[in-house]
Amino acid sequence: MPTDVLLRLQSVSKTFPGVKALEDMDFELNKGEVHCLCGENGAGKSTLIKILSGAHLPDPGGQIYFEGEKVILTPHYAMELGIQTIYQEHIIFPHLSIVENIFSGMEIHKKGFVQKREMINKTSEVLSYLDSNLDPESLVGNLSSGDQKLVEIAKGLIFQRKVIILDEPTASFSASEIEHLLGLIRTIKSKGIGVIYISHHLDEVFKIADRITVIRDGQKVNTYNCDDINEQILIKAMVGRDASTFYKRENVAIGDVIYEARNITGNGAKNISLQLHQGEILGISGMVGSGRSELMNVLFGAVKVDSGQIFINGKEVNLKNPADAIRKKMCFITEDRQHTGLFLSHSIARNTIVANLVNSKKTIMLPKQDVAIGEKFMKILKTKAKDAHVKVVNLSGGNQQKVVLAKWFNTEGEIYIFDEPTRGIDVGAKQEIYQVMVNLLKQNKGIIMVSSDMPEIIAMSDRIIVMNEGEIRAVLQKEEISEENILTESIGSVKI
Amino acid sequence: MNFRQTTEPESKKQKISIFRRFENSTVITVLISFIIAITTIQFTTGMLTGDFSIPTFITPNNVFNILMQISVAGILAIGMTVVMVSRGIDLSVGMLVSLITILMAKSVTDWGLSLPVTLLLGLTVSVLLETILGYIISRTHVEPFIITLGGMIMFQGIALLLCGSREVRLANGEFDFLKFNIIAGAKFDGLNLIIPIYVIIFVIVAAIIWAIMKFTRYGRWIYCVGSNPEAAYLSGINVKNVKMSVYSLNGVMVFLAAAALNSRLGVALISGGTGLEIDAIAAVVIGGVAMSGGKGNAWGAFFGAILLGCIGNAMSMLRLPGEWQYIIKGLVIILSIIAGTITNFISKKIKHKVQIS
Repeated sequence: MPTDVLLRLQSVSKTFPGVKALEDMDFELNKGEVHCLCGENGAGKSTLIKILSGAHLPDPGGQIYFEGEKVILTPHYAMELGIQTIYQEHIIFPHLSIVENIFSGMEIHKKGFVQKREMINKTSEVLSYLDSNLDPESLVGNLSSGDQKLVEIAKGLIFQRKVIILDEPTASFSASEIEHLLGLIRTIKSKGIGVIYISHHLDEVFKIADRITVIRDGQKVNTYNCDDINEQILIKAMVGRDASTFYKRENVAIGDVIYEARNITGNGAKNISLQLHQGEILGISGMVGSGRSELMNVLFGAVKVDSGQIFINGKEVNLKNPADAIRKKMCFITEDRQHTGLFLSHSIARNTIVANLVNSKKTIMLPKQDVAIGEKFMKILKTKAKDAHVKVVNLSGGNQQKVVLAKWFNTEGEIYIFDEPTRGIDVGAKQEIYQVMVNLLKQNKGIIMVSSDMPEIIAMSDRIIVMNEGEIRAVLQKEEISEENILTESIGSVKI
Repeated sequence: MNFRQTTEPESKKQKISIFRRFENSTVITVLISFIIAITTIQFTTGMLTGDFSIPTFITPNNVFNILMQISVAGILAIGMTVVMVSRGIDLSVGMLVSLITILMAKSVTDWGLSLPVTLLLGLTVSVLLETILGYIISRTHVEPFIITLGGMIMFQGIALLLCGSREVRLANGEFDFLKFNIIAGAKFDGLNLIIPIYVIIFVIVAAIIWAIMKFTRYGRWIYCVGSNPEAAYLSGINVKNVKMSVYSLNGVMVFLAAAALNSRLGVALISGGTGLEIDAIAAVVIGGVAMSGGKGNAWGAFFGAILLGCIGNAMSMLRLPGEWQYIIKGLVIILSIIAGTITNFISKKIKHKVQIS
């Protein structure tokens, strides 16, 4: 029945500089259907919904049809057509009431005067339809995250949207909130609205989906009817990369334990214990939001631990702040190098010397020495810039990351935490950074590496810890490491 | 991606980098062009009236005069530089100067304390009050703008209480030692040349702070905290204490400025410090310190202060009414900031072109 098709994508591609985020994507959404998108971190799900919401313009060549008509989506036009995207991070005004949030920018007015009564009536009508007893005038900031999603869905109903896209709506939801949300989706589905639902939680997907489309590396693997498949088939479809394309690293002899965490709880981490050996890369895997980066902050002393112990070289240490950790020869290459790693307006030289200031006993420091140190590491790491005076803001991602590495190598650390070491870096620089990591191992240093990049974590890790909801779900030994095992542990249906 | 940079022709690269590295170029350019403009005006009017002597604006007498006029605001600008590089701001310095001048004047006259004790008292109170502000700023997430605004109003109250809303006369010239002319006897064109000690203090303070920020570990901390506090924390810098310390350091500057002001005026009064914080911030901003922190240095503020002084002085030289001073001052501030962004824009364009070619 072609009339039932709300939205159809035909060989849509999207290229970002250096990356093909989506390739020849076909996708279809019917009226009253819940269509789930599945795939690993970075598979291209977000790119797809950004194209649907008009935030990204697809590459020329692909076609998008809305109710049978060819359209070019812009954010405004997508809204006009009735496509509403509910993003993972709530884009909502916490200091305004439910009514004001729903009607923000679309206030009902007569000659410029806002008709508050009418808006409240409409809102309470929809809220009661959704079986909710929320007061339309209560502040959105005070609502639970479940109710905030409900407000967004109510908005979709009031403006009679035809397509509602939910991106990871249940992150940080409790089990009952998830059930409630799934109930809401069933309600709006019965109104003929098409729903695109993205979630890492396969159990939710199987509860709600009519069809499931699996994306891997920007390409569609297949679209399944929900009834035809099970979790295993789905995970198989999500993985299945050719392992021969992975980076091949040298193996290094593994030595003694240099870093150990026992029963660490705090900052979202729950009862985490782990050991890191010399010459070892300990991979930390898990979906976005599983608490990996938060754990790294705790391990580095940047956030207070609620309980637990940390041992370095067998001795218990008390890391009150990053300065303590650096003195104990720890290094932390953060996930977001621009915001937490670098001083963008400063020179390479200045960025290189900064972490070692805490170890330095000199009060007087000559800029000339800074430059010498900066240039020494530029040579070692093959950083591409004219000299160490160049401001870091003018460097490419890969070279910026090398400056971050230089900053930590200058402290002569022994224990390295790499949080997403190659995010946003081109392939060539990636390989160089992998080689640098292996060289560290050869010098008997240990590395804890968080990565969402599946080939990277599989190729580089000696062991992998899989995290979910701030807990360790599994520890995979070298021979157990595979995409399938990692995915099964990180999104398997143990929840609810 | 950035491979292009390495293929830039050698000669072009060198030129750009000299411009980029010479951080104070904007303020010095503006200052020099201003001086040239005023001198030219004076020279041409002199020619027209048949007077062929040196334009008065650039006589040594007038140059030293300008230095004397701006020393107090200048010392504050040097302290403000440190605060603003660390991504802070201190609106309280003007009123704190009033408070400290009154405190010291009271102490040395009414309370009969000796001069050294008085100076020590002024220094202690100034540093203490600034440190309290710094402590609050570094331990909470409230904007320094708000905290120091509150401080400013409070200090005004304390100062008024202290002096009973009256001026305190330093009838015996207790602070005249700062006015001591180190080149006594030197003459130019029949007029005595004067360089008082407080001008020397201003220059020395600028040099010391510049050196601290450039050559010490502490200086690097300040720049890092201003540029990216988050990254600074994760690099092992004690961000909170660095933030607090810049206000303490500013307290020292306030004390020096207050002593200089007492010496200049010979009387301590509440309006003595009024508006000084504005002059200090203006000098710092003209001098190229970004409001967002992490950038700028003390010499920039030094020249910024001199530029501000030149404007006021030039207006009276040209016999323009005082009201015009404010208008021209405001215009020069705005223009020099715009000039800074334009220079940035042009150098970026040039670099971009070089990258493409």
